[in-house]
Amino acid sequence: MEKLKTGIAWLILIFFAIITIYPFIYMILGGLMSFQETTIIPPTLVPKHFNWSNYTQVFKQAPFAQYFINTLIVATTTTVVSLFTSLLGAFALVNLKFKGKKTIEVLLLSLLMVPGEAIIFTNYNTIAQMGLLNTYLGLVLPFLTSIFYMYYLRSYFGSISDTIYKASMIDGASDWNYIWRILVPMSKGGLFTVGLLSFISGWNSFLWPLLVTNEDSMRLLNNGLTAFASDAGSQTQLQLAAATLTVLPILIIYFIFRKQIIRGVVRNDLKG
Amino acid sequence: MNQENFVEVKNLRKVYDNGHVALEDVSFSVKKGDLVCLLGPSGCGKTTMLNMLAGLLSPTSGDILFGGKSVVKVAPKDRQIGYVFQNYALYPHMTVLENVMFPLTVGKNKKTKAEAKKIAEKYMQLTQITELASQKPGSLSGGQQQRVAITRALVQEPKILLMDEPLSNLDARLRLKIREEIRTLVKEVGITTLFVTHDQEEALSIGDQIILFNQGFIQQDGSGQSFYLDPVNQFVANFIGNPVINNFEVNLQNGKLTNEAFQLDFANDIAAGDYTMSIRPENLEIKEDGPIKADVFDIELIGREKIVKVKINGEQYRVLTDLTVDVAAGQQVNLAVKGQKFFLFDRSGKRVF
Repeated sequence: MEKLKTGIAWLILIFFAIITIYPFIYMILGGLMSFQETTIIPPTLVPKHFNWSNYTQVFKQAPFAQYFINTLIVATTTTVVSLFTSLLGAFALVNLKFKGKKTIEVLLLSLLMVPGEAIIFTNYNTIAQMGLLNTYLGLVLPFLTSIFYMYYLRSYFGSISDTIYKASMIDGASDWNYIWRILVPMSKGGLFTVGLLSFISGWNSFLWPLLVTNEDSMRLLNNGLTAFASDAGSQTQLQLAAATLTVLPILIIYFIFRKQIIRGVVRNDLKG
Repeated sequence: MNQENFVEVKNLRKVYDNGHVALEDVSFSVKKGDLVCLLGPSGCGKTTMLNMLAGLLSPTSGDILFGGKSVVKVAPKDRQIGYVFQNYALYPHMTVLENVMFPLTVGKNKKTKAEAKKIAEKYMQLTQITELASQKPGSLSGGQQQRVAITRALVQEPKILLMDEPLSNLDARLRLKIREEIRTLVKEVGITTLFVTHDQEEALSIGDQIILFNQGFIQQDGSGQSFYLDPVNQFVANFIGNPVINNFEVNLQNGKLTNEAFQLDFANDIAAGDYTMSIRPENLEIKEDGPIKADVFDIELIGREKIVKVKINGEQYRVLTDLTVDVAAGQQVNLAVKGQKFFLFDRSGKRVF
């Protein structure tokens, strides 16, 4: 009976694993097929020859290297800056006492409820009026602070005993000393998770860069990919190769840091 | 500098934002080099007092003076104090040496790394934690963490050392050992120390001066001996002493103290009326012609003495006797008060005798 139960559990797990992983495998292998192989009926999974030339073709038809660099710049900048701002914000919410703190907390929390899509057009207007369309600054500006990450770190910092902060005060440390010498080293895990989540969401961003860029030289990978899909026409194998290029770096990050990512998500779940 | 009033607290009052009055009106002074215990039941305001001395809380009104200068507006780091927290508050990601060095590597009086290390090592030798230098706090025992916390507090060479229930996280035997060590250490360094505790025995054993807090007021301020022999009110008499003091409701009339169970002659010019008569357990003795009839229901051995638990008129009381006194549970005995070793408190708790 027990065996049967585990057997069924395994079957279900395998079934969903296949559903989840299959598109990725097909994408990678499809990127190496010839055009005929991608459209043949019945479809095949493994190409006869690995057509690595698809990739050279992709690089020839669209400036993917430029997209790549743009995406890297945008994702890195938002990660570093938002990490810094949410670190300071969370510290203030946890350790500092100031007038209007309650009001600010309520304000921040209520802003947290507003979905990004709801304000994306007002954001667009602001950026457009500032003349920042088609600039890196325009791409990153709305994402340099994050209430969500701030609250995430707040719960992390809140679990550090209050007396540690008091002790550092008596030891003569300034708030700045406390943040860098005690808070940051003690919250490495939380900061790392925030950095990772921020980088991944920066890398995967789609709607915002689509709105504020229309020049090819400023496009990010995802937008480049959609543009390429329509530009390259029905060249399915090239589309798949381009998609692989886009996803690969994030896949590598997932593989290296999967433990931290899972831990971060789980912790986040528990803390609500 | 005035040695007598090294630390002075004047009419200090603290009301929290939620309206809770932690300290009503507190004044006391501390002599330089003394070890002073701030004693009281939990919630009496003693930790609030310590936090205000440290500058972690600011008083609602009143003044605090260190060496004759008001420090109310001085930041904690500039008050020249060391603070040992109840949970030690060691930095978990740093080694013991780094923990001890930390105060020397931040702030105005920053030392070079080599200097800081030298000073830290000097103090670590004093507190005998040299061999723990490279360990992290997490791998230390409670007693060792305690020592690290004290060392970190001492390393800045503060004028005043503040300790918040530093022994409460240790087991009973270690507590006895460490409290003696603390006393020896602070006397050796010669630092003025204020030590918060709820344990009267701890306070009596190590304090040069004891300040007993309750309900936001100082109940009594003085040497441990005066607390025991000369309590100013009912609360102090009840709080100090183990086993606890015996209280009898009595009526004083015509030179006689009368209770439902006994009558004692007491010639005095105290006004007639109802009082509480408090007798320490060691001041009651089993005596054949004693005026108080009591039923023994239990006996508790505490080493060289034993506590005879008795019922008088249905109420429980304790008598401390020598081990040689032959008495067993179930017996009926007569008790007598030794001399006039008892206290009388009026209905408001004030001592009248």
